[in-house]
Amino acid sequence: MPAKSAVKFEDAFDLDIAHSAIEHARKIGASYADARLEATSVNGFVLKNGVPQVAGFDRVSGIGIRVVMNGTLGFASTNDISKENVRNVIEKAARITAAASAIGEKVKFSHEKAEVASYEVKQKVKLDDLSPKEKLKVLFDAEKAIKSTKANATGRFFSMSDFYTERYFANSEGSRVLSKIPRTDFWYFITVEEAGRTAQRYWQYGAAGGFEKIYGYNFPAVLAGEVKATHANLKKAVAPPKGKVDLVVAPQITGIMVHESVGHPYEADRVLGREAAQAGESFISTKMIGTRIGSAAVNIVDDPTIPGSFGYYLYDDEGVKAGERWLIKKGIITGLLHNRETAAVLNCKSNGSARATGYDREPIVRMANSIVKPGDYNEGELIESVKHGVFLKNFMEWNIDDKRLNAKYTGAEAYMIRNGKLAEPVWRPTIEISTPKLWSSVDAAAGNMEYHAGTCGKAEPMQAIPVWFGGPSMRIRNVRLSF
Amino acid sequence: MKKMSGKINDAHSIAAYLVKQLKKKGTDDVVVSAVSEEATQLKFANSMISTTQMWHSDKLNIFLAIDKKLIGTSIRDLSTKAADDAVSRMLKFAAAALPNQEYMGIAEGPFRYAGIPETYDKNIVELGETAIDLLKGAISVAHKNGAKRTAGVFETTFFNTYMLTSNGVEAEDKGTKAYFSVRAFVDKYASGHHICNARVLRKFTPEASAERAAVIAKQAVNPLPSIPGTYDVVFSPLPFANILESVGKAASIFNVESKLSCFSGKLGKKVGSDNVTLVDDGTLPNGFDSMRFDEEGTPTRKNTIIEKGVLKTYLHNTSTAKRHKVKTTANAGLVTPLPFNLILQNGKFNKEEMIRQVKRGLIITNVWYTRFQNYETGDFSTIPRDGMFLVENGKVTGPVKELRINDNLIRILKNVSAVGSEPEPVFGWEVEIPTITPAVLVRDVKMTKSVE
Repeated sequence: MPAKSAVKFEDAFDLDIAHSAIEHARKIGASYADARLEATSVNGFVLKNGVPQVAGFDRVSGIGIRVVMNGTLGFASTNDISKENVRNVIEKAARITAAASAIGEKVKFSHEKAEVASYEVKQKVKLDDLSPKEKLKVLFDAEKAIKSTKANATGRFFSMSDFYTERYFANSEGSRVLSKIPRTDFWYFITVEEAGRTAQRYWQYGAAGGFEKIYGYNFPAVLAGEVKATHANLKKAVAPPKGKVDLVVAPQITGIMVHESVGHPYEADRVLGREAAQAGESFISTKMIGTRIGSAAVNIVDDPTIPGSFGYYLYDDEGVKAGERWLIKKGIITGLLHNRETAAVLNCKSNGSARATGYDREPIVRMANSIVKPGDYNEGELIESVKHGVFLKNFMEWNIDDKRLNAKYTGAEAYMIRNGKLAEPVWRPTIEISTPKLWSSVDAAAGNMEYHAGTCGKAEPMQAIPVWFGGPSMRIRNVRLSF
Repeated sequence: MKKMSGKINDAHSIAAYLVKQLKKKGTDDVVVSAVSEEATQLKFANSMISTTQMWHSDKLNIFLAIDKKLIGTSIRDLSTKAADDAVSRMLKFAAAALPNQEYMGIAEGPFRYAGIPETYDKNIVELGETAIDLLKGAISVAHKNGAKRTAGVFETTFFNTYMLTSNGVEAEDKGTKAYFSVRAFVDKYASGHHICNARVLRKFTPEASAERAAVIAKQAVNPLPSIPGTYDVVFSPLPFANILESVGKAASIFNVESKLSCFSGKLGKKVGSDNVTLVDDGTLPNGFDSMRFDEEGTPTRKNTIIEKGVLKTYLHNTSTAKRHKVKTTANAGLVTPLPFNLILQNGKFNKEEMIRQVKRGLIITNVWYTRFQNYETGDFSTIPRDGMFLVENGKVTGPVKELRINDNLIRILKNVSAVGSEPEPVFGWEVEIPTITPAVLVRDVKMTKSVE
């Protein structure tokens, strides 16, 4: 039964394709089946050093089906949604999954309510209402703003995309969820030269909504600011201080820290080894839930339901209703991110973390929007409280090992803090720190919440999925910078 | 796996229809490519299949240039109605787009295409459920060699590509691929990884890979804390392929122009030691990404990127080559030229001989999360993953843990002091461009670790 809803597939996708796929899978022996029918319209633009590259538009559509045969999970997808082809694909998937069950994991799903719902994200400035020229103007305005600075920006690379995804999920337990989510995505990569030396910086902006989100970022100001700061860093930066110092990290750095060293290791599929060959495992074990990993100032959640967020959804790709989920409360590990499979293994409920990048990928445990909760201070107070230290506004290079225990974050725009005041720029201050040490050294958070966009990679084949990460500025006491 | 659906035949006539219609409307260049692909994957974890996955996709990619405005799209519905709709939408889109004044056109055909040996094997197309037995055998071999659990993927692909352009190109290629990635664990902190890939089944060796992964994992038990500093490093093929992939991408003229390359201004100059000769070969028999033609229909070829440490060429398509007054290297990407199969020329040492040359060093068997602080200078870091071993006075003394490579791409290439004699093909999660490399000895690699 289609969801009773005001939201409909614009191109009149027949929702019964999903229902008959599930019915057919059940008929040939699947103990469980679900289907995701999906259509995404996309427009993309690239400006390289002031020259437009190929502009594109596309409509990607198809169906992804999961079946459980003899207890083992199978997934199949096709972009040919004719009834005959979908049946053929299901039969092939059922056949190979049944055979694979001889050495297959016996999957169980947590019991969840069958949801019937529909929702959509409204657009103030509709993606379809703007011409390619009007969209390209955003990139040219950014280019112009960079040119207006005195700095020698030798590389200027901008990419902007908008997506409109209609997705219908149905399963053999009666869930029926229809969603329509528009998203915009902009990222830049700049190179600035000064006296034969260069520095680079990239960042991404993304949100759920219409083109008003792009206009709201004011990219000319953002880009001009980036170029000026990078230029000043090249001209005036001093070496980072040696010995132990206090740090104040701005929301971009808070965001990448929470994403890499909290969000990822708290994905239950990693904890259980399901991503061991690719995205890796986790230093977190189930025994650590309820134990301390950080100071009382550390409060961390992942929340897909933040309005306008890049990782926005209300029901996940298993039809489970989503909400805010706590990962760390006052420094104590409170829980993991779950889909129905990991929840069943660990005898709990799914918290709606199953996501797939498209109809042609299996849903797996993912973050949506991971954030550090705000604290009681403001950023100025954090800086004023530091006698000798470094303020890191943003970063360029970062990485973390595959169990998420040792991370590196190298500052891009950064300044010395001397006697509670921001002083000269610092060249590439590098934090190389273990995860428990990091979160136990955070002793205060400000209230200046910011949300930043990223495209998070996981799974094989790769699923690059939109997320937000963020939080407020944080103070990190008494740590050593790396050389 | 079923043989190719008949749709590709329909695609020929729709491609011809699209080229004709778009030319009639006054476009300058048109490239239409029909791509059909079927893939099957067995994903396994904890030594059990966790999911079977199958993908099927047929589509037509369309590129057009009109008054230097470049537009791309694709269609799935191979009807004349869908084609007419695509033509009208592309022209409408182009009317409101802006020109790329640097665009210089696509390749002028027709061309003759030589067949590439060992790129299609019907045994892979028809492998079906036999894949499960092969995987079962490989997992069993890993366990026999000491692994307590394994994870990875076993994947087969069958594709068919047909291309038609407004400039006389008509080309077709079909191929098969088999790919196996296995990570073996003895415990949570002792693991080994190996990969094999091939275009024909007789060259596909999952059991050998499973054994290699398990042997590394077994040797990696109880790693000791490590000391940061400068080490001579023997890179196994897996991690060195990761580094060479960055080198291959840096050779793309698109990345050079975008400041995403450390090879800007370095043509004809030394970028590596005399031991480094790197070629890209789109015609390599059994090469994982070998194709008879590039994305504009130019017959692929073998290009030497670095010869005895000297940068010989950037990778071009027709348009970028004309702009830079050179010949295309047949590496289109209509926007970004990229390598097909990177090959580091063999040296003469086996791995043991290289280890004997090391006074204080490391063996690194895998890396992940390579990130650049500055692509133009080549400053980057990457993290060793799986078994890492300390070498002292020419002998392996035991496993170590938790170090990070913090160095520079060109400095690494210049410090290559020995190249192995046993090349291995690498492709996978951390190496997207197929790369064939032996183990390599690099002197004085800077290693750091978490300071607390």
